[in-house]
Amino acid sequence: MAKIARVAVKDRDLLKTLRGFLKTLLSKGKMDAVLVPCRLPMKPVLMPTLLSDPAELDHADPLSPAFPLNAARIAARLTRRPGGGKIAAVMRPCEIRAFVELVKLKQGRPENLVMIGIDCLGACRNRDYARWSARAGDNAAEAYARAVLAGETPPEKFEPADACRICEFPTAEAADLSVALYGVEVEKHVLIEAVTDKGKAVLERLGLPAAEMPPARAKTLQQLVEQRRAERDRVFEETRSAVDNLEKLSRYLADCVNCYNCRVACPVCYCRECVFTTDVFDHEPAQYLKWAEKKGALKLPTDTLFYHLTRLTHMSTACVGCGQCSNACPNDIPLTPLFRLVARDTQAAFNYQAGRDITEKPPLAEFRDVEFEEVVGLGADETAEMEK
Amino acid sequence: MAINRGSALVVGAGIGGIRAALDLAEAGHHVFLVERTAHIGGILAQLDRQFPGNHCGMCRMLPMVDRDAASQFCLRKGLFHENIALLLNTEITDLEGEPGSFSATLLEMPTGVDPDRCVGCGLCAAACPVEVPDEFNQGLGRRKAIYLPIPHSVPNPYKIDPVACTLCGECTKVCPTGAIQLPLEKRHAFRILVVDDQKIIRDSLKKRLEEEGFSVASADSGETALAMLSESTCPLMLSDIKLPDMDGLALLKAARERRPDITVLLMTADTASETAEEAMKFGAEDYLVKPIDPEDMIAKVVAVYQRMTHSRKRQVEVGAVVLCGGTDYFRPQAGANTYAYGVNPHVVTGLELERMLSGTGPFQGRLVRPHDGKPVRRIVWFQCVGSRDIQLNADFCSTYCCMAAIKEAILVKEQLGHTVETTIFCMDLRVSGKSFQRYQEQAVNANGVRFEKARPHSVESDPETGDPIIRYVLLNGECRRERVDLVVLSLAQRPAVNTPQIAAATGIYLNPWGFAHTEPFLPTATSRPGVLVGGAFAGLKDISESVVHASAAALEASRIIHTGGKTAPAEDHEAPLRDVSREPPEVLVALCACGDDTMQRLNVDFLTRSLRRDPRVKRIITIGNICTAAGWKELTQAAEAGLPNRVLLGACHPCLYTRQVRELCRRIHLAPSLMEVVDIMTPALIGMDRPAAAGGGDAVAAQQLGALQAALAGLILQDGPMVSPLPITQRALVVGGGIAGMSAALGIADHGFAVDLIESGHQLGGNLNWLHDTLGDISTGGLLEKAIENTNQHPDITVHRNTTVKDAVGEVGRFCTTLQTPGAAEKTIEHGVVILATGGTEAGTDSYQYGRHPAVITQQELALRMSDKTFDPCSLNSVVMIQCVDSREEPRNYCSRVCCPTALKHALKLLKRHPGLNLYILYRDIMTTGFSESFYTAARQAGVVFLAYEPHRKPTVQPPASDKAPLTVRTMDPVLGRTLEIETDLIVLSTGIEPSLPPALAAAYGAATDADGFFAEADFKWRPVDALKEGVFACGLSLSPRSIPEAIATADAAAQRALRILSHARIKTAGATAFVRHSLCSRCLRCVDTCPFDARFLSETLDKIIVNPAACQGCGDCMTVCPNQAAVLAGHSGRKMLNVIDAVLMAGG
Repeated sequence: MAKIARVAVKDRDLLKTLRGFLKTLLSKGKMDAVLVPCRLPMKPVLMPTLLSDPAELDHADPLSPAFPLNAARIAARLTRRPGGGKIAAVMRPCEIRAFVELVKLKQGRPENLVMIGIDCLGACRNRDYARWSARAGDNAAEAYARAVLAGETPPEKFEPADACRICEFPTAEAADLSVALYGVEVEKHVLIEAVTDKGKAVLERLGLPAAEMPPARAKTLQQLVEQRRAERDRVFEETRSAVDNLEKLSRYLADCVNCYNCRVACPVCYCRECVFTTDVFDHEPAQYLKWAEKKGALKLPTDTLFYHLTRLTHMSTACVGCGQCSNACPNDIPLTPLFRLVARDTQAAFNYQAGRDITEKPPLAEFRDVEFEEVVGLGADETAEMEK
Repeated sequence: MAINRGSALVVGAGIGGIRAALDLAEAGHHVFLVERTAHIGGILAQLDRQFPGNHCGMCRMLPMVDRDAASQFCLRKGLFHENIALLLNTEITDLEGEPGSFSATLLEMPTGVDPDRCVGCGLCAAACPVEVPDEFNQGLGRRKAIYLPIPHSVPNPYKIDPVACTLCGECTKVCPTGAIQLPLEKRHAFRILVVDDQKIIRDSLKKRLEEEGFSVASADSGETALAMLSESTCPLMLSDIKLPDMDGLALLKAARERRPDITVLLMTADTASETAEEAMKFGAEDYLVKPIDPEDMIAKVVAVYQRMTHSRKRQVEVGAVVLCGGTDYFRPQAGANTYAYGVNPHVVTGLELERMLSGTGPFQGRLVRPHDGKPVRRIVWFQCVGSRDIQLNADFCSTYCCMAAIKEAILVKEQLGHTVETTIFCMDLRVSGKSFQRYQEQAVNANGVRFEKARPHSVESDPETGDPIIRYVLLNGECRRERVDLVVLSLAQRPAVNTPQIAAATGIYLNPWGFAHTEPFLPTATSRPGVLVGGAFAGLKDISESVVHASAAALEASRIIHTGGKTAPAEDHEAPLRDVSREPPEVLVALCACGDDTMQRLNVDFLTRSLRRDPRVKRIITIGNICTAAGWKELTQAAEAGLPNRVLLGACHPCLYTRQVRELCRRIHLAPSLMEVVDIMTPALIGMDRPAAAGGGDAVAAQQLGALQAALAGLILQDGPMVSPLPITQRALVVGGGIAGMSAALGIADHGFAVDLIESGHQLGGNLNWLHDTLGDISTGGLLEKAIENTNQHPDITVHRNTTVKDAVGEVGRFCTTLQTPGAAEKTIEHGVVILATGGTEAGTDSYQYGRHPAVITQQELALRMSDKTFDPCSLNSVVMIQCVDSREEPRNYCSRVCCPTALKHALKLLKRHPGLNLYILYRDIMTTGFSESFYTAARQAGVVFLAYEPHRKPTVQPPASDKAPLTVRTMDPVLGRTLEIETDLIVLSTGIEPSLPPALAAAYGAATDADGFFAEADFKWRPVDALKEGVFACGLSLSPRSIPEAIATADAAAQRALRILSHARIKTAGATAFVRHSLCSRCLRCVDTCPFDARFLSETLDKIIVNPAACQGCGDCMTVCPNQAAVLAGHSGRKMLNVIDAVLMAGG
C-alpha cells in the first residue's frame, strides 16, 4: 500500500490545493474537524481555528509566514480528555514537536488527533508580520511560498524570525501525515506522506493516487538544513560568549520587566499556575528591607534572573526552539537563542531530543542505573585525575 | 511508637544485631542493644561497598513505616530509635531466668572519655604522644592512645586505649569540656600477686607491671601465695601453672575459696595444654603463654584491671535474648601456611585491601602498595585461606569470600582500569547466591577479572624488589611462577573472639567449630530456650543471609515474648498535638552556655540583641548546661510557661537531644518538627584556638548567629504536623502452603493475628511431600507433620485449599484479595500484608538424552526412586551425576544452590547401600557453602569420583543401541587432559530450581519478578524478603533457590517484617510525607513516574494525584520533578528552603 500520495496542483494555486486537500480530509478522511490557521473575518490576521464546515476551509492559510502562537497548547487543550470526535490538526513542525512533549507530560492525548505537518516555510515575528502583510497585501501567501521554495528572497523585505533562521527542522518527522513541499515539483503537485500507521489509515481513505518521493527532495532538504545548522552554530557561539557568566547573563536579561509573557507564549511551559505566582516567592515585606540593608541597593523585582534560570531548568529538556518566547517579549530580549543553546546541552546530556519520538520518556521521568558516572561515581578518569 | 509490648536483649550491634533490634523495636518491643566495641556496624563499619550492588545501602534497613521513631541517616554513622537503648562498650556476663522473664547482667567498660561531654574536637589526640597501629585501618595506619574508634560515627566520642595509654595526662590538659577521666592513682591501689618459682620471671613481671603503675606482690610457691591472700586482698593473681608445691589448678581452687572475687591469669609454656583450657573452666580468666610477651601480658592485665575497677554492672529484665555476636576472621599469622603474610609486606588480607580502597582509609582510597607506595599493576587473590582446610579444623566453606574477592577485584578494576591485572585463584567458584553468577560473569566480561582454578602453594619474595612471587599448579599439572605486586588473602570466617564468653554467659552450646549450635530445622534456636541466634553467629553467612537470620531470630524472640503474655495489643493513645498552623510563629530560643567556663565565651548579649530583631522571637533564655537534668528542667519550665509554638535550642550535637526533644514536645503537645537544635558549640571550640587579637570572639559569635538564624528562618516557615494515622487491617494473607508458607503463617498467627493461607493444591506441604530427608540423613517427616498439624489446628489460621488468587488491589494496611476456588463462590478478603510463598519446582530439561532414554533421570526422580522400596542400588554398576544442567548459563543463568548438596546426599546414600558402586559427579563448581562442605569431603572419602567440566566443553551422552545397553558419557577431564568415556547404568541430572511465582500474582500486589522469575526483593542485602512496595513480602523458593532451613529462615524473617506492620492498629505516617496542592497540579504524572516507592497514583475518578502516606518515604523526588511545587514534602516547602538558604547567604556575607 502506498505511503505517499499526490495531490495535483491546479491553476498553480498552492493554497487552493492545500485547502482542497483539507476538505477531502474532512469529508473522506472521517475527520470531525480540522484545526488550521485561518484568516479572521474581521481582520487579516491568522489564528488557529477549529473548522467543521468544509466551506469554512476557504479561509485556511497554512502557508503564510504568520506564527501568532504555538498551537501545540491548543491541540493539547482539545485532546486532554476524550472529546467525542477526531481532529486533523495542521501544524508547523515545531508545533508538532511541542505537542509531542505535551503528550509526554500528559497534557494532551494523541489518540483522537491526526497531526498534519506541512513543510515549514518559516515565519516572522508577530509585529513584523503585521507590517509585512500590510505591505505585501492580503494574498501574499502564495508568492511567499513560491519564493521560499525556489530559494529566493521573499517579497517586500520579509524578515524571518530568529528562531526560523536557525531552525534545522523544516519537516515534520513526528507527524502522522507530512505534506511535502521542499524538493517537490509544486507547479504540478504536492506529496502527502503517511509517517505513522494512523496517518496511513487516514491516507488510504482519501483515495489519492500513489506517488514516489523525488530524489531532489532529500538533497534540497540537506542543503537547507546545513545552511541552518551553520547559522545556528554561529548564533550559539555568539550567545554563549554573551552569557557565559552570571554578570553577562544578567546583562543579557537586563531589559526583562517580569511580565512573564515568554512563559505564557512557551508551548511546553505547561504548569497551570507558575511557581512564580505561587506563595513560594511571596516574600515578607521585612525581607526586602533586610536585603536592601545588606546589599545597599536592591534591584526590583528581585527574581528576574531566578525566573529565567528556573524556566531554563524546567523547560530546557522540552524546548523545541519554536521562538515564541522571543516573539512574545515586549522588550526584544533574544530569549530563543539562549533557550536553544541551553536546551541543546541538557538534551545532549540525556541523549534526548525534544519532540523526536512520542514513545521516548522525558529525562527525569525514568531512572537509569548507570548514568553520569563522572558525577556520581569514582571512575577511572577521576582517579587518574587524582594521581596527577 | 514506644508501645513497649515486651523487652528483648540483642547482643552485638553488627549488621545482624541492628536488623534484629530494629525488627523488634518496630513491632513495639523495647530493645537493649548491647555492643562490646565502641561503635555499631561491626565489620561493616570498615567495608564501604558490598556485592552485588558495589555500593553501601545499609540505610535501607531503617524503618519505612513510622519512620519518625528512628533517625533517618546513614546507619554506618549511628542508630537512634525510640525503642532501642544502645549500650556500647558493654558485654553480657550472665543470664538467669526463663524464656519470657530473663535477667541479664551487663558490664559496661568505660572508655575513659565521657561521651556526653566529648565534642569530638580532637585536641586530645593532637596532644597525645603515644602512637600505635590503627585497628580500624587494619594496622595500615597509626593512631594515638586517645582516638576515634571509627572516623564517621555520630556522635563520635574519643576513646582511650588503656593498654597504649601511658597516663601522661597531656589529653586532660587540653580537653575543653573536661570529658577525659584518667584515674591515675587507682592503678597504685590495684595490687597484683605474681606467683612463679623462677625469680627472674617474678622480677621481670613485677618490674613491667610497676612501670604501668600497678602495685605488685610476688610469691615463689603456692603456699606462700595462699598465705599472702589470707592476709590481704589481691584482685588479680598471675600464677604459673606448674609450681613446685602444687599445680596451678589447685592454687586456683584454693585461692578462690579464700577470695571468691579473685581473678586469675595462668601462665603456661604449653599452648596445647588441656590443663590451661580446663583451668578456664574452673574460673581462670585467661592464660599467658611462656615465654611471656610483655605487651600481651600488659594488655590482658589492663583489661582485667579496667573491668574490675572501672566497669559498671547493670541488670536488665527481658523476655528473650538474641545473640548476634557476628564472626571474626581467620588469623593468617597463626596458621602453618600463611603465604608469607606478615613476612612479605605486599601480602595483605581482604579487609586490609578494603581499607586501602576506602576514602576513610590510610591512603584516602588510592590503591598503592602500602609498604613502598609503588603502583599496583598485578594483583592476585588467594581464596580459601583458612577455609576448606582439614588441617586447620576448617572443613567448611566461609561462604562470603568468593563474592567478596570478586567485588574487590571489580573495585580495583574500577579504580585502576586496564592498567591493572586482577586474578582470583580459587578451587571452586562459589557463586551460589541470587544474581551472583551474573555478577561473576560481569567481572570477567565487563571488568576483565581473571579466574584461575588453582590453589597456590607458596609465596616467595623477590630478593631485589621484595615483590611477592607466587607459585601454583594448574589443573593439568603445569607449575607456574609469577611475580605480582600485591597478594590478597581471602580470609575464612571464624567464631568471634568473645563467642566462648557469650556462650558461657548465656549457657548455650557451641558446635565443633566454635560457632553457636543450632538444630537443622530451627535455624535460630540455640540449646537454651528463649535465647536465639541471629546473623552469622551460628556461622558462615554473607550479609544477606545474616540479615535474614537476624529477622528470623527477632520473630522467635517476639514469639517468646508473646507467649510469655507480655504483649499489649492496645495502641498507646498519645494526646493530640497542637495545631499551630494558623498561629503566627512564636519562638522560644534557649542558648546553652555549656558550663561556666564557656559561658564567658558565649557572647550572650550580642546573640540576644541580634536574634531579638526578628519579631517572631518571643523569648530568649540562657541556660548553664542544657544537657544536665537541671538544665533541661529549666528549659521545660520556660517552654511550659510561655507555650511557644516553635523552640530553637542553641547547644551542641543535635543528635544527643533526639530523645529529650521528643519528650519535651510530648509535654507541650508540639510536633518535634517545630523544635530544632543547633550546634553552637563547635564554632566556639574551633574559634577558641584563635587568638583574641584576630577577632576570634567576634568571628565565633557571628558564626553562631548565622547558624541560629538559618535554623530560625526554617523554623518559622515550618509546617505543623501532617501526621494522619492510617488504620490497618490486622490480618495477613499468605500465598503458598509449603513449608515456608506454613512457617510464615504460624509466625504471624502465633502473635494472635488472623492469617489466610492460600494453597493451590489439595494438600499442604509443597516440596516436602516428596523430599523426605536432607543432607546428613535428617528426616523432614517430623517437620512436615508438625507444621501441617499446627497450621490446621491453629485457631487464627484459615487454610484455603484448591484456591488461587484471582485479583488483588490495595496497599500496605489495606489490601483486598479475591480468591477463586473451583466449585465455590469467589471470596474477597481484606488484609494488611501479604506474603508470597509460592515455592518452586525442579526445572525440566531435554539435555543429555533426558526424556529419550529411561536411564536418564533427574535428582528428584532419583529421590522418589530411592524412597521406593523396590529400587535396588545394588543392581547398578555405575552412576553418573551431571551438575548444572541448563543452569548457570543463559537463560537460567543462576546457581540453584541445592543441587550440589542434593547430589552429595544421593551419592552418599547410594554408596551406603552399595559400597561397590562406581559413582561419578560431573560438575563445574561444587557449591557446598557453609558446613555442608564436610559432606563434599565425606563424598570424596567415600570414593565418589568428581570430574570437573567447563561450560564450553560439556559432557555428552551417547544414546545406546538399545534400551538395555548401558549409556556412555563422554567428558573432558582437565586433570588428565583427555576425554573420558564412562559406561553407566544411570544418569542423574541436576536441573536446578525454577520459581513458581506467576508474574501476574506478584504484579497484583505491586511487586515485581526478576529476569529469572523470582521475586524481586527491595534490596538483596538489606531488605532481602521485602518487595520495594511496603507490605508485600516473599519467602522460600519464590525468593531464590535455597535449602529447607534457609527457606524457614526467610519465612520467619518475612513473618517478622509483616508483624512490624500488623502489630499496630494504625500506621503512623511520618512528618516528612509528600502531599499535593491540587489547584496547582497539572497532572503531568512526572511525580508518579519518579516515585521510587509506588506511593503515588492518578485517581481517574477524582482527577487528582493521590499519595499513600504510609508508602511515601519522604525522599522528595516528586518535589524535584514538579515544576511548580504542586508536589510538596511536608516540612520542606520551597518557601522554607529558600528562606533558609537566604539566611545562610546573608550570614555568610
